[in-house]
Amino acid sequence: MNNYAIEVNKLRKIFTTRAGFWSRKTKTTVAVEDVSFNVCKGELFGLLGPNGAGKTTTVKMLSTILLPTAGTASIFGLDVTEQTQAVRERIGFSFGGARGLYGRLSAVDNLRYFAELYGLEPSTTRERIPEMLELVGLADRGEDRVETYSSGMQQRLHLARALLHDPELIFLDEPTVGIDPVGARELRKAIKELVAQGKTILLTTHYMAEAEELCDRIAIINEGLIVALDTPSVLKKRISGDTLFEIEIMNKNFASLQAQLQKIDSCLTVQITDAHPKKIFSVRTSQPDKVMQLLSPFLSSQQILELEVRNQTLEDVYVSIIQGEKA
Amino acid sequence: MTGRLFRLAWRQMNVQLHVRIFNLYSLLLFFMQPAIFSCVGMILSKAAGQERPDLVYTVIGGGMLGMWSGLIFTSTFDINRDRRDGTLELIVASPTSLGVVEAIRTFTNVISGLVSMVAAFVVAILIFNYSLSDTNILGALVSLVVILFGMWAIGVFLANFLAWSRLSGSLVEFLEIPVALVCGFMYPIWILPDWMQAISKLVPIRWALEAFYAALLGEQDLGFLWKRWSAALLLSFIFWISARWLEGKVHDHIRVTGEMSSI
Repeated sequence: MNNYAIEVNKLRKIFTTRAGFWSRKTKTTVAVEDVSFNVCKGELFGLLGPNGAGKTTTVKMLSTILLPTAGTASIFGLDVTEQTQAVRERIGFSFGGARGLYGRLSAVDNLRYFAELYGLEPSTTRERIPEMLELVGLADRGEDRVETYSSGMQQRLHLARALLHDPELIFLDEPTVGIDPVGARELRKAIKELVAQGKTILLTTHYMAEAEELCDRIAIINEGLIVALDTPSVLKKRISGDTLFEIEIMNKNFASLQAQLQKIDSCLTVQITDAHPKKIFSVRTSQPDKVMQLLSPFLSSQQILELEVRNQTLEDVYVSIIQGEKA
Repeated sequence: MTGRLFRLAWRQMNVQLHVRIFNLYSLLLFFMQPAIFSCVGMILSKAAGQERPDLVYTVIGGGMLGMWSGLIFTSTFDINRDRRDGTLELIVASPTSLGVVEAIRTFTNVISGLVSMVAAFVVAILIFNYSLSDTNILGALVSLVVILFGMWAIGVFLANFLAWSRLSGSLVEFLEIPVALVCGFMYPIWILPDWMQAISKLVPIRWALEAFYAALLGEQDLGFLWKRWSAALLLSFIFWISARWLEGKVHDHIRVTGEMSSI
């Protein structure tokens, strides 16, 4: 008996679609190329990646909604393709958005229905529904039709539904999308409480700050492959020691600054964003003094409109990894 | 286990009726469409020289068509709505099998369809002074139950087929009128050409409907009715077994193709 809640080994998912009536054309899409990772019991594991990277497909395979094309995955030692029923009883999942709820029913009726699908006893259902609505801050709107809810409220109801049967492992696919900052903070607090209760959580998100705040470990997935996997602090150390300069300069002064920057070997990456009539340089360097020295004539002649110097964030790491992959 | 199934059935019916109760389409489907078909039936029988329309085949036949159309369209509506709203994935990934959910849904749809039949009887009795004095009421009631069972068995098979892919809905809707035609919803089955009668012999509703209309017209011969009930029950059972087989195939297929969502 190992300590893993999730074990994923060389997971792969290919979708095949056929189009045309007379001449059938087959198109294959590799949604997940080769994904391997483990998640320990009680861990909050983050899966980050750009749109179409394979995050949701991976979560759907782990939650038994999709069958993998190749590879293996197990939840608490149970194979997701062979022991589907047992896996389903132990997991909860939320895919977020306005979908996945019956809009014409109240939140309470939605939860009652899903409670029956998960085989909850009536006494448990009576206890759990108010508890869950309280947890997600919908206790006073429980009898209202879901179609009258804001997207943030629907998102919170998704979480209540996912937690209703008290699962040991919860998959949360972008749980704070569409939620206002206050609501998102409350939801993050609720997620932390769940981890404190010993639940294992696999979270996908686009928000780096959220991943940095919540996750014990993070896997970055791009084009169906895991391209980095570690704790947020170790991931940041990958490019730590580096300093990030963000320099706003008018177009007319752009060429001379670019020429100067190219002279410095320690400029690890230089990114240029066009924001007409100015340009923004993002410079990552291990020798900030040199860069500062180079910038001083530009600063003194007021050619630089704005300068920001900061340390690396998880977002910088993410951008660096994803862009490195693309390059 | 039985208690849980009843609770799930009650909750599932509650969801379906809530979703559909304010749906004007359902009202048109269960009342307007059969009424229109009944009117057409009456006009045709009058044009054929009959003094008064045959109430069993026109009015009750309209109710029968309402039940069948209701089953086809509500089943398609349910699965399309689940695909669109993203609830199909949640049902598939719950510990309750999709087959059980489909069986309960189909039961609700079949029972909902009874409103068409009740409306047809109300119209026949109150507006056209149809008398039940010569009717074999018990025979008609048993036949109606066998019809409902036959519809349920076909409905469960079709519901599983509907879950198979997004294209299935169009194919199932296409079945509405052909099945009504070959089963003789609005005319005696014997007026059909032999090849159509041969096809209709594979459909359980045809046998139960023949017994139902015969009982309404006063048929008392229990042997005649039993023969048809037995054929209907046997075919219904075959449809149900096929539905169970299809259920497993559908569960695997949609998890391979990912066709649980319309977006």
